[in-house]
Amino acid sequence: MVKETLFGTRVRRLAILVVSVIAAVVLGYRYTHQPRYLVEKTDPAAVAEGRKIALNGLDGVTACAHCHGQNGEGNQELGYPRLAGLHPKYIAKQLRDFARDPMDIGVKVDPISRDYEKTPRVYKDLTIYSPGIRRDPMMNPIAKALSAKDIYNVSNYYASLPFSAKPEPVDFETLERGHELAVRGKPEYLMPRCNACHGPNGEGFGEHFPPLAGQPPKYIISQINKWQNGDRDNDQFAMMKNTANLLTDGNKVNVARYYSNKSHSVNEE
Amino acid sequence: MKQIFSALFTVVTALSLLSPAQAEPLDPLEVRPTLVRPQVSLPTNLITVPVVNPGEYFVPPSYEDIPDDKTGDMIRWGRNIFVNTQEYAPRYAGNGLNCVSCHLSEGRQPYAAPLWASYPIYPVARNKAKRVVTFQQRIQSCFKYSMDGIAPTVDAPEMDALVTYAKWLSTGAPVGVALPGRGFASIKKTKDPSPINGEIIYNTRCALCHGANGEGQKNRNGVGYMFPPLWGMDSFNRGAGLNKVKTAAQFIKANMPLGSGYTLNDDEALDVAAYMWIHFRPDDPRTSFFMNRFSPKPGGGH
Repeated sequence: MVKETLFGTRVRRLAILVVSVIAAVVLGYRYTHQPRYLVEKTDPAAVAEGRKIALNGLDGVTACAHCHGQNGEGNQELGYPRLAGLHPKYIAKQLRDFARDPMDIGVKVDPISRDYEKTPRVYKDLTIYSPGIRRDPMMNPIAKALSAKDIYNVSNYYASLPFSAKPEPVDFETLERGHELAVRGKPEYLMPRCNACHGPNGEGFGEHFPPLAGQPPKYIISQINKWQNGDRDNDQFAMMKNTANLLTDGNKVNVARYYSNKSHSVNEE
Repeated sequence: MKQIFSALFTVVTALSLLSPAQAEPLDPLEVRPTLVRPQVSLPTNLITVPVVNPGEYFVPPSYEDIPDDKTGDMIRWGRNIFVNTQEYAPRYAGNGLNCVSCHLSEGRQPYAAPLWASYPIYPVARNKAKRVVTFQQRIQSCFKYSMDGIAPTVDAPEMDALVTYAKWLSTGAPVGVALPGRGFASIKKTKDPSPINGEIIYNTRCALCHGANGEGQKNRNGVGYMFPPLWGMDSFNRGAGLNKVKTAAQFIKANMPLGSGYTLNDDEALDVAAYMWIHFRPDDPRTSFFMNRFSPKPGGGH
């Protein structure tokens, strides 16, 4: 029988201690640092409630499925957007912006003083940006009829739906020009590339940057037109407004058809 | 409508009165109503946009014009390293950034250190090295400081690819001429930058993409960054050019928020840069561990 020496016990204890500390650090890090890209949960109760509104509508509100498709896949011919698989917060924000009353033109808005030196803390929570409006004759009355709870339910329902884009055949020149805009933008006009915010393949990123892949080209073009003429003004820091103002009509067609050629699927294997 | 236009008119006249009549260097900014229909957003219907005239900046050749030969292969490889450094030159990259994180639009964007403006002026004397450096040596210091990694040797294949890509991007550019759009935008400070203001501006305008703690946002698959980290271990180190408050402010002024460049004024850009500067980032490889702890941080200006 080998007698346990002081040295052997110490080494073993030290080894156990080191291993357990490493294990604790690694596991602790993994549990405390949830990667952001994984967090996109939907509320199952809200999904069930939202499904009723989406398929049957409310009194005074037609069913969403009427235009946006039975599975939220949108309408290619008429240019109704797909909603399936979008970020729930994005859908909710759009509905709130649809419901917002545009301020009367000519209303005097006192500019917020930006002399932060005097009271730095006071301005911290103030937002100086547009509350966000989307003018749309079809969606404005519908969004106004929805309560906050309805918006939450519907957006969770559509966020939970699976979606697979059907890539459309697009001619080579259009693809090439669309790709140029999506991947490189127009640097000589200081226009950034689309994919810088809308995700590496236009699949969308987070709650602020919606997917472009899988959206009907007609919808994308109509939205860029609305950015340009001011019917839509609900982006962050005027990023999309400034970018849209740099797009020509040809650019719009090329980039919209380029994204309709992309394959893209969410919420399904 | 009339009220809007009268307000616009008064603002423009006030601005013209305030600004000195002396001939200043040409400002690429112009205040104009952007849209046909007046907007509700604040600032109400005036927005400052850079006005770019066609032909103002050098236009590098299109990606489709890369020749189909050995040179073309090298150019494509160089472009791949440039765009996705993490995948194509992982042994030289020490942090989470790619070359395009700062050299926007694959090194084509004016005032984001475009390659077509820098390649033709090298070799040139640099203050940082206190000697004349070649383009290869310049790329080496990019890897050493901004990528917080290991500099490839001047004869490394990756270096050849990057130089070939830069040379191809500057096809047709005059040699030895400081082209418009070179480097970063110029900036003029009127007061000392304040990181307190910078924090407010950061939280309202930058945190959306770069994260509340400057940690950036990873791609959905968890590989690489969608929005690059601004400080912390995955960002550039203390020896990098962007660690200098002034340089970072010059970059921010022209390019950030992406697509809405020139919306921060010079002092606001400096404030944000100062807020970035006060945070932790990897050590300067030129000095020791000890000196990095106990000597004043480089880049703060004087």
